[in-house]
Amino acid sequence: MSESIAKVPHDESLEHGLLGWVGTIDHKRIGILYLVTTLGFFLIGGVEALLIRIQLARPENNFLSPEVYNQIFTMHGTTMIFLVVMPALIGFANYFIPLMIGARDMAFPRLNAMSYWLLLFGGLLLHFSLVAGGAPSAGWFTYAPLSETPFSSTKGTDYWVLALLVMGVGSVASAINIIATVLTLRAPGLTIRRLPLFVWMVFVNSILIILAMPALNASIVMLLIDRQLDAHFFLPANGGSALIWQHFFWTFGHPEVYIMALPAFGMISEVIPVFSRKPIFGYEFVAASTVAISILSFGVWAHHMFAVGLGYQGNLFFAASSMLIAIPTGVKIFNWIATMWGGSIRFTTAMLFAMAFLVEFVIGGLSGVMFAVAPIDWALTDSYFVVAHFHYVLFGGTLFAMMAGTYYWFPKMSGRMLSEKWGRVQFLLLLVGFNMTFFVQHFLGMMGMPRRVFTYPDLPYWGALNMISTVGAFIMGAGMLVLVGNIVMSLLRGERAGDNPWNAWTLEWATTSPPPEHNFDRVPPVQGRRPLWDLANPDKADWKFKKVEGGDPSFGKNRTCMFSFLVSEAVFFIMLILSYLYFNSGKFGGPTASSSLDAFKTGIYTICLLASSFTIWLAEKYHHRKQFAAFRGWLVVTILLGVVFMAGQGAEYVGLFDRGITVSTNLFATSFFTLTGFHGLHVCVGLVALAILLGLAMARDGAKMIAPALGTIGLYWHFVDVVWIVVFSVVYLKILS
Amino acid sequence: MTTHQFLTSAWEANPLVIALCVVVLVIYGWRIRFSARSGFLIAGLVLSALVLVSPVDALANGYLFSAHMLQHLVLLLVVPPLILLSLGGSSVVKRLAGRAISPMAILTCWLAGLGAMWIWHVPSLCSAATQSPAIHRVQYVSLLAMGTMFWWPILAPRREQRISPFAGIAYLFSACLGCTVLGIILTFAPLGACPAYLSPSDRLGILALIRDGWGFTPEKDQQLGGLLMWVPACMVYLAGIISQLVRWYGESAEEPGEVPIRVLLERMS
Repeated sequence: MSESIAKVPHDESLEHGLLGWVGTIDHKRIGILYLVTTLGFFLIGGVEALLIRIQLARPENNFLSPEVYNQIFTMHGTTMIFLVVMPALIGFANYFIPLMIGARDMAFPRLNAMSYWLLLFGGLLLHFSLVAGGAPSAGWFTYAPLSETPFSSTKGTDYWVLALLVMGVGSVASAINIIATVLTLRAPGLTIRRLPLFVWMVFVNSILIILAMPALNASIVMLLIDRQLDAHFFLPANGGSALIWQHFFWTFGHPEVYIMALPAFGMISEVIPVFSRKPIFGYEFVAASTVAISILSFGVWAHHMFAVGLGYQGNLFFAASSMLIAIPTGVKIFNWIATMWGGSIRFTTAMLFAMAFLVEFVIGGLSGVMFAVAPIDWALTDSYFVVAHFHYVLFGGTLFAMMAGTYYWFPKMSGRMLSEKWGRVQFLLLLVGFNMTFFVQHFLGMMGMPRRVFTYPDLPYWGALNMISTVGAFIMGAGMLVLVGNIVMSLLRGERAGDNPWNAWTLEWATTSPPPEHNFDRVPPVQGRRPLWDLANPDKADWKFKKVEGGDPSFGKNRTCMFSFLVSEAVFFIMLILSYLYFNSGKFGGPTASSSLDAFKTGIYTICLLASSFTIWLAEKYHHRKQFAAFRGWLVVTILLGVVFMAGQGAEYVGLFDRGITVSTNLFATSFFTLTGFHGLHVCVGLVALAILLGLAMARDGAKMIAPALGTIGLYWHFVDVVWIVVFSVVYLKILS
Repeated sequence: MTTHQFLTSAWEANPLVIALCVVVLVIYGWRIRFSARSGFLIAGLVLSALVLVSPVDALANGYLFSAHMLQHLVLLLVVPPLILLSLGGSSVVKRLAGRAISPMAILTCWLAGLGAMWIWHVPSLCSAATQSPAIHRVQYVSLLAMGTMFWWPILAPRREQRISPFAGIAYLFSACLGCTVLGIILTFAPLGACPAYLSPSDRLGILALIRDGWGFTPEKDQQLGGLLMWVPACMVYLAGIISQLVRWYGESAEEPGEVPIRVLLERMS
């Protein structure tokens, strides 16, 4: 642990005032940057929501034209999901995970900063579309073929894709950082089984992020290729499949909604015990059910596609698994209730929001389970019932939980207490406004009002219910303005908070509010799950009643980082390989793998690439033995072999272009170029990394200096080779046709 | 033939299978002795016998791809863990030499489990196994053997040879992913994942029953086979992961005055 303390650089930005915030790598400042930015985007998304509600307040309204309306609801959804909820949760995680595990900073502080700036610039890129021809207007999940060029001719969708790619890199980087931090930087005594539940849930969530984001990346990259390079992945008219977009997107999309829920569950698991003055009931159940939810979340995505014609059997299996996933969530709800039972409850604003969360999330969850029953889904899909469902889980659930987290942790972040009085005002406004807005939408949905319509006819009660919904939305808006005011006033004149205003038990409360740059002067001893309780009550310490022991395996920071990254890339390649298999099964016209590819020639280049795996292993071996000349030699050979492979690929590409086979020729060509192209890109990145290593190793003590990086880059290189083995077998040897 | 007639008449008491079950029972009773944990063995043997002599087997022999899938999933994913569970902790096993399992061995076991699935779904091999009884027997034996190898790092009779629960979760999750990808491919692949099932030879005279009575077209059949490998198989891995989590958390928590959960778990498995 001490070696990591020594290695984190001193954040010099702290000496430069406001400008210092731009260059900061301190996780606390980055966390605050995230939270302030997401608050800003929240206000933008909220204005978009109010515009929607104004347009829908009366039947046959003409406040917004249909084209503008489409752009606004697309931006509202995209903003709220990718620019508010996800980054805000990551912001809280950034600030509090190092504190809660007794660490000095995140495992990779500069990577952390990069993730934040990618978020900001991704968001700006998305909004730039407004002045560059029009915002995206095909809905937040941009179904094909609506999102393809013939039907979405402005550049909005392209901006959407590029912005999401930029932000996606940031999210995956944050997730990798969190995984490495939690696995390698815990204070002594803080074993994995003693982790605060917020940390555990964000950790599991990060694994979910690295597994799910690549599915999104694969989908939107394919969409971009369609739009910009005239390909036809998703255009049925030319042999593509709009259905594949749905499958690929929802493979990301369903885990995404759990990505937005799990950290919120973590916050609730911190707030409820503290304000019930009882430890969480059934820690192991809450922790294990988190894992169950994550795994199951990958097996239910087709419940977004019940109305698309998967067939009776497909619907049946996905209905069953979707109903199953309600069980672990239910386990959590019962544990939180049991925590409150018999506790001595303090009705602070944070606790009020947490209790409201329980009710609202259960309502949202129940409407969700209703959708698991396929025939109900057929009646209610794409109606306002769905809109009501996801707002209940995302706003009534996640956002309320974030409010609880805000009121709980604001004192720690700023050193000031938020006004409880105004907190209650906000809570009431939000509670009333939220339910007013969205409860009536259940009825509207059941009465048949479709979602994403810019207006509706004057059917009985539709106008009245919509008006109620609109008024509720404005009440919610007022509530959020109260929060902003509360934050500003509290920063200026709020009551000073001590180290531990709530008498809580986890490590972040064992330092000043706000914490100093180095977080802790001294980390308290950790022998259980509530270190501060044990410290304050030595005779009633948790570990006297129940020991939580367990050695944990030890992890290296670099290895963990690279491993997580490679897992993420593996999913990306699996998606591209699956799309290749899909588009190359069955008969179609034009060039095919058999007619246009030379497996023998490529086989030779393949042998070169595989040999390079062997040579880099040799290089590592000699480096280990301190025979640096041999090490450098084998590194050069590795690079050369990689270059030969790329040259071969290049020659093959040129040959194909000469014969008129380009990305847009037919689906074989498109999927071939996409798959091998991305692999080639990864090889090039690897070559650049190896060249940098070589360059550094040429310096006098360079070879010793690069030791930590060598094994890590070697892992990456082996991965690239393994992917090629699979790609070669599938594309050139056609083993799965 | 009606469904009822089929279900009552299509049992084929394969003497080899019955004999093997008896032999296994006898060896177990003699060397390891019966105890509460033998329930696992009985369950395992009953399941394998069922899947090999019941109408499921009749259907799997050339009629329904999905029935063959069910058979394989049971033999690969359900029976081996049951057999391993029945061996744990017994005095005979304790006497055998055992060291901690090496990373290479873990990888081999993982590849065995996944390999068994993927190899037998190469279309030509799948058809060959359906059409040739000899290859079919090789297939059965390989599934049981490779299944046992796969589950060894998780459920090895000697606790020292089991990997840590944390690693067990990663092991099972990655295997689940591999199984799921194959299931997805089979569900959405065009007809012909296992060509032998496309036009079965109607030895038992039940083709009409299957196609018209039960509505099983070849497309639906292949889709169901893929779905079985995709969703229920995942549940088996998930159950394994949950049991690893239970073991992991149970291992760590001890309340003074009570029998440590760790010891309880040890006695159970």
